[in-house]
Amino acid sequence: MFPRLRFTAALCAAACLAACQPSDHISISGSTTVLPAVSKAADTYHMETGQAIVVNAGGSGSGFNQLAEGQTDIGMMSRDITDEEKAQFPDIIFTPIAVGRDAVAPVVSSEIFNAGVDTLSLTEIASIYRGDIDNWKELGGPDKPIFVIDKESSSGTRQTFMKVVMGNSKAAAPGADLVIGSNNEEQTAITQSDSAIGMLSHAWFNADVKGIAIKRSDGHLIKPTLDDIRSGSFPITRDLNIVIRNDTSPAAQAFVDYLLSEAGQSYVAASGYIPVK
Amino acid sequence: MAISAASPSGRPRGRFWTRAGYMGIYGSAFVSTALVGLILLTLLFQSGPAIFDVGNTLHLTEWNPSENIFGIVPMIVGSLLVMLIALTLAVPTGVLAAIYIAETRSDKIKRVVRSALEILAGIPSIVYGLIGVAYLSLWVADIFNLQTGRLILTAGILLAIMILPTILSLTEDAISNVSDRYKENGRALGLYRHEVITDVILPQAKPDITGAVLLALGRALGETMAVMLVIGSIDRLPDPIYNVLSSGQTITSKLGREVGESAFGSTHFSVLVFMSFILVALSLLLTFLSQTYFKTGRRHV
Repeated sequence: MFPRLRFTAALCAAACLAACQPSDHISISGSTTVLPAVSKAADTYHMETGQAIVVNAGGSGSGFNQLAEGQTDIGMMSRDITDEEKAQFPDIIFTPIAVGRDAVAPVVSSEIFNAGVDTLSLTEIASIYRGDIDNWKELGGPDKPIFVIDKESSSGTRQTFMKVVMGNSKAAAPGADLVIGSNNEEQTAITQSDSAIGMLSHAWFNADVKGIAIKRSDGHLIKPTLDDIRSGSFPITRDLNIVIRNDTSPAAQAFVDYLLSEAGQSYVAASGYIPVK
Repeated sequence: MAISAASPSGRPRGRFWTRAGYMGIYGSAFVSTALVGLILLTLLFQSGPAIFDVGNTLHLTEWNPSENIFGIVPMIVGSLLVMLIALTLAVPTGVLAAIYIAETRSDKIKRVVRSALEILAGIPSIVYGLIGVAYLSLWVADIFNLQTGRLILTAGILLAIMILPTILSLTEDAISNVSDRYKENGRALGLYRHEVITDVILPQAKPDITGAVLLALGRALGETMAVMLVIGSIDRLPDPIYNVLSSGQTITSKLGREVGESAFGSTHFSVLVFMSFILVALSLLLTFLSQTYFKTGRRHV
């Protein structure tokens, strides 16, 4: 019995060590879109200063919730904080800080792109998601039904996209054939199909997943390239935010400053996003 | 108490340990029972806003949280359809394979197959999900010449594969547990081998097999990851309702997709909790049924 007791005691001690980390570590959690840049910066920051940093995924929404409930020091959000969210925690002041910019572009399968559909207007994209246009033929492409891929309604990518395309960040998409969650899932689904359209952060484009240009009403084309995103002419962009509370710790504030420094911004660029400085 | 009364007095230390042991046992039993009650109570309380605020939209087939429309019918139908497909495929296969293993093979092969089954049952569901996304859904799309293979049918097939080990191993146990006396009597009466199986063994093992199916059903109902990856996650009723070649949504996949991002305490969150309450109620019902069947099974032996 006693050896087992000792074993249990050791287990408890281990669990406690894991749970009660020293309070001087910084914990960060939230959006999977913001995560790559922050976690790369955190690695270097840890090596340089010895400051322990724990970075967790979970999505914009849960990043905010954890920050508000005091479970994390810094939240990551790929969208703005909603009024509903603010209203739930009236006593806390949240400060979103943009650490980078990102473009969300309509993407199509490479088969469609190569068949000539490399440009769509916002009205055309909206009609596709509403279900009014359901064949690529109508848009100058091959005679194939359009496979419309939508994202979960809580996704920061979707809200950014729908706000510009449909005029409402929570617009329903009755034309959708498939709903997926993360950027990786979207990439896979579009690669697997030969007639798909979807929405993706431009850091995720590749040979099988082609971002298409958007035709403005005056006929001018805007491609989802770094230049057009940086200049602000690409219409569907968003800030990648980190959020802190007014009672944030000095250690967390120091890391925020590091993210905004030249070194920190280089990791934003290395993750495929546009630095803010 | 019984033990401490039996042991003679004058050994306070022993009595202390006995009492501590009893307290530990009662305590553990109490905690586990209390947990079940607590979970149910929490679910009920959190479901309040769902029932009282938007209860009049729950029966709809449309889901749009931003407009306070929370129709949960597509999810319930999806769960039931997926479960039905999984059972239709897995039960006959499982039972026939179990008969084969239990009745016609040597002990050595039996052991190999049994351990293989245990491994199969232990594979994490996300692995099945990945296989489903990478291969199964593509095959299904090819076979039916569809744009996507992320369908209710695909989810059902994947679930059938996942619950097969449960059905197979429990059914095999049930068949092996049928007393040799019955089998020998059957043979002595001049029955053919297949008659022994259909007329003697299966009727004897039937309650246990039913229990196995109900257990598997519980797993099918609660499976989240694998289903979420292959079902398409569209909150829409199949048209017509038995069209399993359309994308859909189950209660579990809906919860997996949305619970992390819905604001705690909001109506949206409450409806998700209400759906999980339905899920828990269903699986409690199944547990209750399977326990009843297991009991009648034991009475026969």
